[in-house]
Amino acid sequence: MSEKMYLYPVWTRIWHAFNAVLCLALIVTGFSMLYSNPDRFVVNFSSAVAIHNVAGVLLTFNYFLFFVGNIFTTNGKHYRMKLKGLGQRLFLQMRYYAFGYFKGEESPFPVTTEQKFNPLQQVSYVGVMYGIMFVLFITGWALLFPEFILKKLLGFSGIFLTAQLHVIMGFLVFVFLFIHLYVSTMGVTATSNFKSIVNGWQEKH
Amino acid sequence: MKSYLLLFILSICLYFPSMAMNFSLDSNPDSVAVRGIDNSLYAQDNEQNCLRCHGELYYTIEDTLSGSVKRRLMGEHLRVSRDEFYSSVHWNFNCLDCHSEGYTAFPHALELRFEESWGCIDCHGYDEKFAKYNFEGIEQEFQKSVHYTAMEGEFTCWECHNPHTYKVHAREAQSSENFIVESNNMCLTCHGSPEKFGLYSDRKLGGVMTKHDWLPNQTLHLQAVRCIECHTMQGDDVMVAHFVTPKDNAVKNCVDCHSQNSILVGSLYKFQSKEARSKYGVLNGVILSNDSYVIGANRSLFISYGGIIAVVLTLLGIAIHSIFRIIIKR
Ligand code: HEC
Ligand code: HEC
Ligand code: HEC
Ligand code: HEC
Ligand code: HEC
Ligand code: HEC
Ligand code: HEC
Ligand code: HEM
Repeated sequence: MSEKMYLYPVWTRIWHAFNAVLCLALIVTGFSMLYSNPDRFVVNFSSAVAIHNVAGVLLTFNYFLFFVGNIFTTNGKHYRMKLKGLGQRLFLQMRYYAFGYFKGEESPFPVTTEQKFNPLQQVSYVGVMYGIMFVLFITGWALLFPEFILKKLLGFSGIFLTAQLHVIMGFLVFVFLFIHLYVSTMGVTATSNFKSIVNGWQEKH
Repeated sequence: MKSYLLLFILSICLYFPSMAMNFSLDSNPDSVAVRGIDNSLYAQDNEQNCLRCHGELYYTIEDTLSGSVKRRLMGEHLRVSRDEFYSSVHWNFNCLDCHSEGYTAFPHALELRFEESWGCIDCHGYDEKFAKYNFEGIEQEFQKSVHYTAMEGEFTCWECHNPHTYKVHAREAQSSENFIVESNNMCLTCHGSPEKFGLYSDRKLGGVMTKHDWLPNQTLHLQAVRCIECHTMQGDDVMVAHFVTPKDNAVKNCVDCHSQNSILVGSLYKFQSKEARSKYGVLNGVILSNDSYVIGANRSLFISYGGIIAVVLTLLGIAIHSIFRIIIKR
């Protein structure tokens, strides 16, 4: 008989739902702007600009919820990692995904309420949430108010450089999303993690 | 964290040198003979005949009988700036080349004001020396424009090309120079000034800014593109389009500019686009060398391919892992 753990408190689930929807909207509209074309488009350009702007602003506010939530609740502990031995732990986790997982071994870092992320999750969540997302917000807001961007930097249009940084980060989030979704199917069952992020509860092995 | 950092640094490392390699902007050969008051053959004549009044804030009138002298303000629109005149295309001109001798007398006679002025085509038409501008082609386009058709006879080339200040902008601009503002000011002398506009039309002048509030980042747009990008029909044989169309034909579709086939490359950047098509490894790089970045028209090939490769590798990894999962049934 499996026992259940409460891993995702209400606020993280609300945050995550908004986060997921807004990120998807931003990715779709972002790509339709970057690769805009008069003949074929997913979202037409001016709607894409409008949606992207609104979704970007909302996502920033949503991010504050995450940021503040992780400061004032115990959820923040999952985002603090010890650097010592990190490489070793990452290696263990990778080896598990590549081999151990198929052999039916136990996960080297089983999910507990004390540690709900394995090292790979931890590193990528921290990287995305405190690195990439952060840069996206700064560059995104700058593009919303281009008059504050340096006209020229190192001989290039400041808007151009800002936009390039924004686009690179967008691509990284896009790639992250695939990995994130796939790894989420590797829970107790293929769908159990998705149930957890909706209802908060996770089955114990 | 590290892996992303690495990816990020890698992309930057790949990206910037490729731009820097092509970094050789702004090499305009010294154009035209040196303009300026010192080199003009007519500076002295002009001073004596006209500029002593039209170049000053005040002029004086004298009653020869009583000998009394009065100071008067020279109306702003009647003032000719020496700096601007002697750096304009017609810097080496005598005022009397274009204005009738009669103006040497003051007060100027009434009939002088009804004399027709020369048109550009009178001096420039069918002249080898000016062939590169294609004045004849421009004249033809102009005659189809809203201004000409609505105000024939009254509206000439001079209404936009200020006779005393016009300099060639786009053609001679160094890439980083901002010729856009100057070109737009040619339109805004009327469309931004109710007084001047009222000279030509009884219609009330709508605010230009309110007519364009459908554009996001309006200020940025009106600094980054010329009015004529949207308000003219683009022809092939003229470098600067002059066929100003009615407002309903104006470009309103964002994708006309914000796409790979941006119209800007054939209009705003027509002078430079031939030699700079794929500069910086960025589509339509010519736009970048002018300090602009147009979403949709500028795409970094490095980021695009890098992004595609990253996505493909990720999907491949996922696919392989999935296959093993299916085979091993987990
Ligand atoms: C003594 C001062 C004085 C001198 C010298 C002078 N002007 Fe004027 N000019 C004026 C004043 C004042 C006006 C405005 C009053 C008027 O229109 O008569 C004027 C008006 C004009 C106008 C506008 C006429 C119209 O109504 O369309 C033109 C064109 C002009 N001047 C050309 C010249 C030229 C060319 C010269 C030199 C050959 C010249 N002026 C010399 C004082 C002068
Ligand atoms: C290349 C030809 C050309 C030259 C050179 C030229 N003008 Fe003019 N000027 C014109 C034309 C054309 C107009 C009429 C403009 C119009 O119709 O809007 C004009 C108009 C004027 C006006 C009246 C402006 C107004 O708004 O009514 C004045 C004053 C004047 N010129 C003075 C001068 C003086 C002084 C010089 C010499 C320093 C000079 N011009 C040189 C072509 C010229
Ligand atoms: C009275 C004759 C005359 C009229 C009218 C005239 N121009 Fe000119 N223009 C000249 C001459 C002569 C030159 C050559 C000046 C020089 O070499 O410095 C010139 C030079 C130019 C140049 C620079 C050409 C170059 O390659 O250096 C341009 C552009 C130009 N004019 C445009 C115009 C426009 C536009 C009009 C009408 C709004 C006009 N001109 C009206 C005689 C005229
Ligand atoms: C509605 C305003 C307007 C009118 C009217 C107009 N022009 Fe222009 N013209 C412009 C603008 C704006 C430019 C761009 C400024 C630049 O880059 O030099 C320009 C540029 C030019 C140039 C430089 C083109 C080049 O290849 O470098 C020439 C020559 C010229 N015009 C001739 C004419 C002639 C001739 C007429 C009359 C038949 C005329 N223009 C009427 C607005 C006008
Ligand atoms: C000398 C004044 C003057 C200048 C300079 C001028 N315009 Fe105009 N323009 C007018 C007037 C007056 C009308 C109104 C004509 C009418 O009543 O139909 C007009 C009409 C127009 C229209 C048509 C609006 C409609 O209702 O369809 C457009 C578009 C336009 N101008 C664009 C331009 C552009 C672009 C430039 C610069 C390249 C320019 N104008 C320069 C005076 C000017
Ligand atoms: C991005 C394209 C674009 C640019 C740049 C642009 N316009 Fe327009 N403009 C339009 C469109 C589209 C309309 C028609 C708007 C409508 O009818 O709702 C318009 C309308 C106008 C009108 C008609 C206003 C009326 O009375 O209804 C004038 C005049 C005008 N523009 C002048 C200018 C001038 C001057 C500039 C440069 C400072 C400029 N435009 C720049 C696209 C543009
Ligand atoms: C005439 C061409 C043209 C048209 C039409 C046009 N744009 Fe632009 N747009 C530009 C240019 C050029 C820039 C780049 C400005 C710069 O970087 O200097 C730009 C910049 C932008 C930006 C970036 C501002 C930032 O934050 O850096 C946005 C967003 C944008 N346009 C949206 C739109 C939308 C939405 C439309 C249609 C309603 C539109 N544009 C129509 C030429 C155009
Ligand atoms: C790009 C946008 C997204 C980001 C940045 C993101 C980020 C995150 C983060 C940081 C967590 C951990 C939450 C916590 O407990 O603190 C998480 C969990 C989760 N997310 Fe997302 N997410 C995104 C989109 C999605 C989408 C679209 C889905 C699927 C519909 C999804 C499914 C899940 C699941 C199933 C979990 C729980 C499993 C786990 O903890 O790894 N996510 N996500």
